[in-house]
This record gives sequence, structure tokens and C-alpha cells, in this order.
Amino acid sequence: MTRARSELRLMALLRPWAALRLALAALVMMASFGLSPAAAQEALRPLINALGTGGFPERAEAVKTLAATGDPKVPEILTYLSDGELYAPKAGGAVYRVGAGNAVTDPLTGTPSEGVSAGSLQKIRLNNTLRGAITTAMSQLTLLSPDRNKRFSAAQDILKSADPAQLSLVDGALAQEKDGAIKSLLESARAVMVLKSDHSIEDKKAAIDTVAARGNREALTILQTALAGAPADLAPLIQGKIDGIARQLALWDVAQNIWYGLSLGSVLLLAAIGLAITFGVMGVINMAHGEMVMLGAYTTYVVQQAVATYAPGFATFGLAIAVPTAFLVTALIGIAIERGIIRFLYGRPLETLLATWGLSLILQQAIRTIFGPTNRQVDNPSWMSGTVDVGGLAVTWNRLWIIVFSLAVFFALLTLLKRSRLGLQMRAVTQNRRMASSMGIRTPYVDALTFGLGSGIAGMAGVALSQIDNVSPNLGQNYIIDSFMVVVFGGVGNLWGTLVGALSLGIANKFLEPYAGAVLGKILILVLIILFIQRRPRGLFALKGRAIEQ
Amino acid sequence: MDAKITNSILYLDNVSVSFDGFRALNALSFVVEPGELRAIIGPNGAGKTTMMDIITGKTRPDQGEVYFDGAVDLTRKDEAEIAQLGIGRKFQKPTVFESHTVWDNLELALNRKRGVFSTLFYRLTAEDKARIEEILATVRLTARKDDYAANLSHGQKQWLEIGMLLAQEPKLLLVDEPVAGMTDAETSETALLLKDIAKTRSVVVVEHDMGFIRDLGVKVTCLAEGSVLAEGSIDFVSNDPKVIENYLGR
Amino acid sequence: MITDFLLSRHEKKTLIVAALILAAAILVPLANLLTPVGSILHVPDHLVPLMGKYLCYALLALALDLVWGYCGILSLGHGAFFALGGYAMGMYLMRQIGARGVYANPLLPDFMVFLNWKELPWYWTGFDQFWFAALMVLLVPGLLAFVFGWFAFRSRVTGVYLSIITQAMTYALLLAFFRNEMGFGGNNGLTDFKDILGANIQAPETRAALFASTALMLALALIFASAVVRSKYGKVLIGVRDAESRTRFLGYRVENMKLFIFTVSAMMAGIAGALYVPQVGIINPGEFAPANSIEVVIWTAVGGRGTLIGPIIGAILVNFGKSIFTAAFPEFWLFALGALFIATTLFLPKGIVGTVMQGAKNRAERQKAVAAEKGRAVSPAPATVGTPEPQAAE
Repeated sequence: MTRARSELRLMALLRPWAALRLALAALVMMASFGLSPAAAQEALRPLINALGTGGFPERAEAVKTLAATGDPKVPEILTYLSDGELYAPKAGGAVYRVGAGNAVTDPLTGTPSEGVSAGSLQKIRLNNTLRGAITTAMSQLTLLSPDRNKRFSAAQDILKSADPAQLSLVDGALAQEKDGAIKSLLESARAVMVLKSDHSIEDKKAAIDTVAARGNREALTILQTALAGAPADLAPLIQGKIDGIARQLALWDVAQNIWYGLSLGSVLLLAAIGLAITFGVMGVINMAHGEMVMLGAYTTYVVQQAVATYAPGFATFGLAIAVPTAFLVTALIGIAIERGIIRFLYGRPLETLLATWGLSLILQQAIRTIFGPTNRQVDNPSWMSGTVDVGGLAVTWNRLWIIVFSLAVFFALLTLLKRSRLGLQMRAVTQNRRMASSMGIRTPYVDALTFGLGSGIAGMAGVALSQIDNVSPNLGQNYIIDSFMVVVFGGVGNLWGTLVGALSLGIANKFLEPYAGAVLGKILILVLIILFIQRRPRGLFALKGRAIEQ
Repeated sequence: MDAKITNSILYLDNVSVSFDGFRALNALSFVVEPGELRAIIGPNGAGKTTMMDIITGKTRPDQGEVYFDGAVDLTRKDEAEIAQLGIGRKFQKPTVFESHTVWDNLELALNRKRGVFSTLFYRLTAEDKARIEEILATVRLTARKDDYAANLSHGQKQWLEIGMLLAQEPKLLLVDEPVAGMTDAETSETALLLKDIAKTRSVVVVEHDMGFIRDLGVKVTCLAEGSVLAEGSIDFVSNDPKVIENYLGR
Repeated sequence: MITDFLLSRHEKKTLIVAALILAAAILVPLANLLTPVGSILHVPDHLVPLMGKYLCYALLALALDLVWGYCGILSLGHGAFFALGGYAMGMYLMRQIGARGVYANPLLPDFMVFLNWKELPWYWTGFDQFWFAALMVLLVPGLLAFVFGWFAFRSRVTGVYLSIITQAMTYALLLAFFRNEMGFGGNNGLTDFKDILGANIQAPETRAALFASTALMLALALIFASAVVRSKYGKVLIGVRDAESRTRFLGYRVENMKLFIFTVSAMMAGIAGALYVPQVGIINPGEFAPANSIEVVIWTAVGGRGTLIGPIIGAILVNFGKSIFTAAFPEFWLFALGALFIATTLFLPKGIVGTVMQGAKNRAERQKAVAAEKGRAVSPAPATVGTPEPQAAE
């Protein structure tokens, strides 16, 4: 996660450069292929020739006129001009390009001009006014380019340089611009230019508002720079805006932390729901629960391999196939465990703990023997990779899907328990085994199915975890203690408690991390839970009364 | 000790407690005098066991006053303190230390210092020995003193538990269904034993067995839905229409 | 009073096992040091610390049995108390290295020099003195157990809940000790010890002495534990295990009862850890792994919880088996251990010693019943034959 973030940051840093290179490449390409129709080209010729006549002011005027045509050939010509490659006879007339080796060519078509010697021509000289005119014209040409991406990067460049001299250019571009994103960039650029220029206080105030409205880190930097050189009567306003943005950014940080916390919480929820069933509903403490998660992750791996081998076209659906498969595989293993071991240990929770721990050792070692001790690569399908920005939040798709998935599993389970016949029987057995049994409920059957259900959910959690964690034989071990903490914290026998427990532990973890570091944060959470259990030994959502006394 | 608030050995006033919205006790008021033997009847869920839980400190009431010996506020004490004050309790299901011998069960119950170090360095004195022998005789378990409690019959476990209460030397005994699962002979012997015990201390007995209650021949309180329905002699209570409606049935 | 307490009536088999351990304390070092290599009686050098390690584990299992077997507290934190005792001893041994370390810093252990630390952290002061380290071996685990138990037992966290939070405690300590900033050598822990109390820690004589001390300590602990469980306090503990609320309603402060035995047991585990470290030559955070604590539980269960000699036998047997197994078929050890967990809980819940004792007792009861029938045909047979569950100490 951190690595992905730093990569993103790096990309943002590189973006202006990449854009600039793109723009230049585009210019050169346009130049070499001569995209404009010949007729239009010929219309340019008098305008080009005008560059060779008159004094500097006239020539600057000629550059503006040339740029105003918006012809794609114009940037090339202007580049020649600023590079000092355009020549004209002393008396005026046609303008030629004198390139390397004194080769005289037609600047418009690039064909050699026979019979004209470089010696007979005089270089068209430049001064600062003329250079300024060229730069403005170039920016204007890209800002007005029909290609959206080019305009976007040009706008970004303008915002970066924010030369007040280009104010009118930006105004012109703004008048025509339709695209919202580019428009907002240009407006910011305009505002920065206004701030730098000697416009009236009112204009500057409006400009400050415009920048502040962007509300991101760039705006913060712009305002901070502006604050340094701001007149005394503007400083408090700018400072106020800076504080406002800083507050807003802090809020986004909080939101980001909540998002990370929700993401971690959803993972904990997935890992803990199954446990809430076996531990909470049945009172069976299953130390091999983590291994059920691990088996789910390996099932995903196997399914993905199988799909890639036998039906490569369905690769994107590998995960969709893995979810029910993992559920079935782990549910069946769970039922086998319940029938084979756990049913002999009902009423002896501590022994169940030991036996299932032994089982977890065997399952881990079995997977290690079959698949080897190293991590297995499970691929993310395309719809689960990538990031989307929501305001100041960077939301990764795989995390988003896992949150959706865990909530879906949670509510599906809740519905199952509340509405289905099996759910009713499960609740009946939980509350009064003997009574349920004498009502004709086959309690052993319900026990096996309940345990299978809990294990199957663990398997589905494994599918989700395979997308964000290393698939190794130890996968389950990393979650088992946290999952128990969730169930104990939330209160045993209450699914809502598990939901609240998982999300609040996830969020608390992520809020502690920036202050205490990941490891210390985790230790703090464990200590807090241990202290919490002292206050409420049966968790947040505990049942009360005589019924729960053993 | 504070000034006496009442002269009663046990005084409950307006006690209520609820579990997840279910009102187990509803403004219950109940008084036991020193040296009194009192029987409590009532349907399942009437709050009999919850009342005992509150008196012995296992459950805290949501509201109301509970005083022992006129001055001790029981709502502020925990089980061990209350037991040390002199309230003994027999559970509905006989609860003895099954992996100890009958003798050890009584030795543990003896009213001696109960701290970690007092028990660690405890030595059985002649006086304690005599006391245990005496209780063994009272509850008729002398022959089985070296047997594990687990190997006793159900009735014998009930008696052992009563013996343990005697060893505790309480001022007040709370006895929850002492004759459940006993033969008729055992039942009437238990009634005699309890009456004997009540000569020196107060006893509260919860029982469903109306014959047993009749044998006791004491004041009866009928609880229903967490409060007192009727109180008086067995004949008075069993003729009360509300009691018939709620408990005895027509 | 203390000697009186320790010398009070013990069971015969406890005394036999204690005597056997004491005999080992004398005979093993003698067989190692005095007999020539190649003699049948000779104990090779490498076996001495290995056997010493088994006895440390036995002491740890005995400590766990006091809380689990006698008081019903399934602690999954005894590995942590063991490791804390080990670290306290390891800190003493580190400071004994002095300037002989790789960086030759007279005050700072190598890993601190490596981390660019300039001075010894305050909690390392005093550990250059053996007596101080020995005190800490008892106090640190004892204090942790006391504070933890104080909170847990007062709020009546019992059963599986208690097991889970002790496991969480162990896990938190594991994470903490992996951090370099803690100042306990991080990942690598403490190692490269040179000498203990002035004697070369690698020398056969030192190792023999360490073995003898371990055996002596185990025998003492066994006698102490026997005195505890056979006192009235021990009977109260069994009462707490079997019927906690009955104990409470008899006026015993169950939380104090639990807290005392939990603390004492943690101290015993600390001693075991302290004896373990000089014999294996290293202590690292891996000792805090929750899996280690659970393994201790299985030693105790195999041998027989609620019996004092059971955990000793169980720890030695399982670890001996582990040594054999990991040498012969390393990849199958976890299968075997896992199977042992399951088989013990399903088929041998009383453990080896418990089952043997049960058999002997059943035979005795049968004989008694037969004798009674012969003598007086009128007396009724006992309602049920057999001892209660779980196994009592007698």
C-alpha cells in the first residue's frame, strides 16, 4: 500500500515532464509530415514573408497574425524563427530557411530553393519583444489546439510557469475552453498570474478565492508562495485561505485513514465472521480457522491455474469461480472436522482449542508439503486493479471490492440466520440444545452444517485475502489472533458486534499507525483490547442475564 | 458498623432488575426476621433464583435497597464478602467439589480465615476436626467421609451441600430446591433438618414441592413476574385466587 | 513455618520422582566428566545441555500444570514468562561479555554499538550483577503475571476468553521484542555468551554444573508444588477449577486465589527460562511465539494435567520424541505434533500418568467393593465406581 502510494506520488512529479515531451513530440510530428493541405499552406506564405519586413514591432505583429491562423504548420515556422534559421533578402521579399551547411530551403514545404545562395540573405534578427511574442504565440497555439490532452498539458505548463505576461493569452484560451478540468487549471493559472502582476486589490482577492477553491496541496503551495511576496493588506486573507485549505486537507487525511481503516476492518470482518459463527454461535473455539482462510486462498490459486490452463478466455472470471469453489471446499473440510473431531469435544472448550490447534499444524504442513513453503502468485483481475481518486482520496479497486464483498457476505449471513429454516434451527440449538433436540431438530446435523458454514465463510475470506496478501502456508496465522480479538471485542454470539468490532479495530489500527508505527500500533491495540475485556468481559454487544451462565 | 436501618435479618425494598428488556424482578419487597424459616414458591421465571442472585451479590439490582442484618448494604458487596458476612447459599443443582472427598468438602467450607496464606499454611486442628465430625453426623455422611463427592448419590450430594452451609456457620441460609430429586423419606428428613437448622439461624427455602412446604409449616411467600403475589400461611396462600391463577392452577 | 510447609506429607510417587531427578543431578555430571569417552557409562558432552533443556521444559510444564491442571486456567502465555526469564538471564550474560565483543565496547553489547547507541538504556543497569539478574528472573515474569492477572481475574475473565487474551499478550510481546528500539537485540536476540559467574559457558564442567542446577531446581519446584497443591490452598484451587461459584459462595476470594498461583507459576516459568538460556546459548523473540506456549500445554496434557509428575514426564517424552523426529523425518514433525494434539484430547484426556493412576484406583476400588461384599453383604455398593473428572491429585 505504501509502495503503491509513493509510486503514485512519483508519477505526479513526473507528469509535467512527460507532458512537455509529449507536446514537443507532437509538434515535431506535425512538422515533418506536413499535415496541412497545400492550399492552406500557400495562404500562409505572405504571412511568413511578412516576418522579413519592417522593424521589430512590425515583425512582432506579423508573428501574432501568423499565430492567429492557428495553422498546425505555424509552430514549426516560429521554431525556425526563434532558432535564428529564417533569412530574408536585404531588400525584403521571400523568406528562406538556412539550415545546417548553409542549405537554403523553403520554410513552408522544406524543398531546396534552387539558385538562392545563403550569402545573398540576411538573418531575421530577434529582440526580447519578438521572443516574447514567439513564446506567447507558441503557448497560445497549444492552448488552442483541438487535441484535449495537448491543451490539458499546456494548461498545466502555464500554471507551473504562471508568467503574468501571458495573462491575455490565458484569457483568450479561457473564453474558448469548454473542458472543465482544463478550464479550472487555466483559471488557477490566471489567478496566480494576477497575484504576480500589479492588478488591483479586488482582482487579486478574486484570484485568491479562485486558487483557494482548488483546495489541494498545489493550491496550498501557490498560496504559500504568494504569501511570501504579498502586500500587507492581502497577507491576512491569504493566511486565512491557507489555514482553511490545511484544515480541509487534514479532513481528507482523516477520511483517508478511515478508508484504510475500513479496508483493514473489512478484511478482519471477513476473517472473523466465520469465527463468529463457530465460536459465537456454537461456542466452539476453532484454532484452525486461520487455516480455513489459507485453504480458501490456495483454492483460488488452484482455480486460477486451472482456468488459465483449460479456459484462458475466462481468466477474468477466475475469481468469480473461486468464490463458490472455495466455499464448498472449506465447508466440506469443516464438516469433516466437525464430524471427525469436534463433536467428541462439545462442552470441553479448552480441549477443542488444543485439538483444533493440532489440526492447524497438520493443515499448514500439508499445504507446505504440496505447494512448497514459498508464496504463490495469485493474479488480480483487471477490474480489481488500479486506483480511482475520490476528492482527496486514493481508492484502490481491490480494497473497494473487498469491502463490498465482506459486507455482502455479512448481510447474506445475517439474512440466512434470520430468515432461513437452517438459521432458525441454528439459533434454536444455540439457545437450548436439549429443547431443540426434543422438538425434533437433528442437532448433530445442525452442528455439522453450522461448522461447515463458518468454515466456508473462512474459505471465501481466503479468496478475498489472496488478492491483497501473500498466499503462503502461514497466511491464516497472521489473521487468527486478530480475528479472535474482533469476536471477543464485538461480543460473542452477536454478528452486529462482529461488524462493529472489525470496523472499529481496523480504523483504530490505522489511526494509531501514523503516531506509533505499524508494530507499536498493533501492540497498543492488543493492550487496549486486553484492558477492554477487563471492563466488559463479554464484549461490546454481550448478552446479559441468567441464560449465559454456564 | 452503621446504625441499624431495620431489625430484620434480610430486607429487600423495591428491588428491580432487568436483562435485555426482560424484567426479572419488578419492585420486589421482601423481609425476613431473625430466626425465621421462610418458604418461597412461584412459577418458573417468577424471579426466585434472581432474588437469590441479588442477595448473594452475583447480580446487581438496577434499583432498590438490599440490607442484611439491619445495616449492611448488600448491593455494594461481592459474593465472597457476602458469604463471609454470614449468608450461605445452596444452589438449585447440587454443587459440591466432586473431585474432593466428603471430608475435604467440609474442611473447605469451615468458617476459618480464607486468605491465600492462611489456607496455604492451614493445619487441621482438633477443634476443626471435631466440628467436621459433628457436621458429618448431622448430614449422615460419616460412613462416606473418605469417598469422593462425585460418587455420592443425588440426595447425598444435596445433604453434603447443606452440611457445607452448616460448616460455614451462616446467619442466613438461602436454600434453592433442596428436595428436588429426593425420595419421599429423604424429603421429610430434609424438612426436619431444615427446621432444626432454623432454630439457630434464619432460613429461606425455595421449593416447588407443596408437600414439603406443608411439612415445614411456616410462612409462605408466593412470587410471580418478579414481585410478591401473596404472603402468609400455606393455607392462606394456596387459597389466594391470584396464586391459583398464576401458579397452582385450577 | 516454611520448612514445615515444604516437609509436610507428600505422596510417595512425588518423592520418588524428586529423588530420581536429584540422582540425575549427581549421576549425569559424574558420568559426563569422570568416565572415559567410549565407556558404556559415559554421557557425551552434547547430550548434557540437551538433557538440561528437557529439564527446563519439564519445569515450565510443571509451572503450567499448577495453573491449568489445578486451577483450570489455561494460560497460553507461559511461553512469554519463560522467555522473559530467559531474557533477564541473557542480559546478565551479555554484560558478562564486556570488551570481548566484536566491537570491543566495554559497556555496550555489540548490537547496541551496531545500532549506534551511545549509552546503556536505563533498564540494562544492574544486570552486570548476577544477584540482580536472578531477582529479575523472578520479578519480571511475576510482575507481568500479577498485573495481567489482577485485571483479568478481578473482571472474571475465564475459560477460553482468558486463553485468548493470554495469547494476545504473548503475541504483543513477540511483536515488541522483534523491534530493535526495544533494546533487546531485536530479531537476533541475545547470544554469543562468554561466561557465567566467571566460568566459561562452553566448558563441560560449566555445562555439567548447569545441568545439576536445573535438576536441583526442578526437584525443589516439584516438592514446592506438591506442598502447595496438598495444602488447604491447593484444595481451594481444585475447588475453583471444578466449581468456581461454589468456592466464591463459601467466602473465598477466587480472584486472589488465582492471582497467587498465576504469579507463582509465572515465576517458575521465568526460572525455567533463565536456566534454559545459558544451556542453549541464545534467546530470541521466537521464544515468544504463541505456538511455543501452546506446545507447553500439550506436554502437560500428554503427561497428565492435575498430576505433578505428569507434566514432567510429558515434557521430557514429547521433547525427546521431537529430537528424534526432527533428526529422522524433519518434514513430518508438524504432522506428528498435530496428531499428538488431537489424539491426546480425544483418546487420552487424563494423560499418561492420569490414565495409569485411574487404572490403579479402579482396581483398588473394585478390591474394596469385593472385600466389603464378602465382609458384610448388607452394605450397599458405591453408586458409581471411578474417580471424578478431572483427575484429582490423590
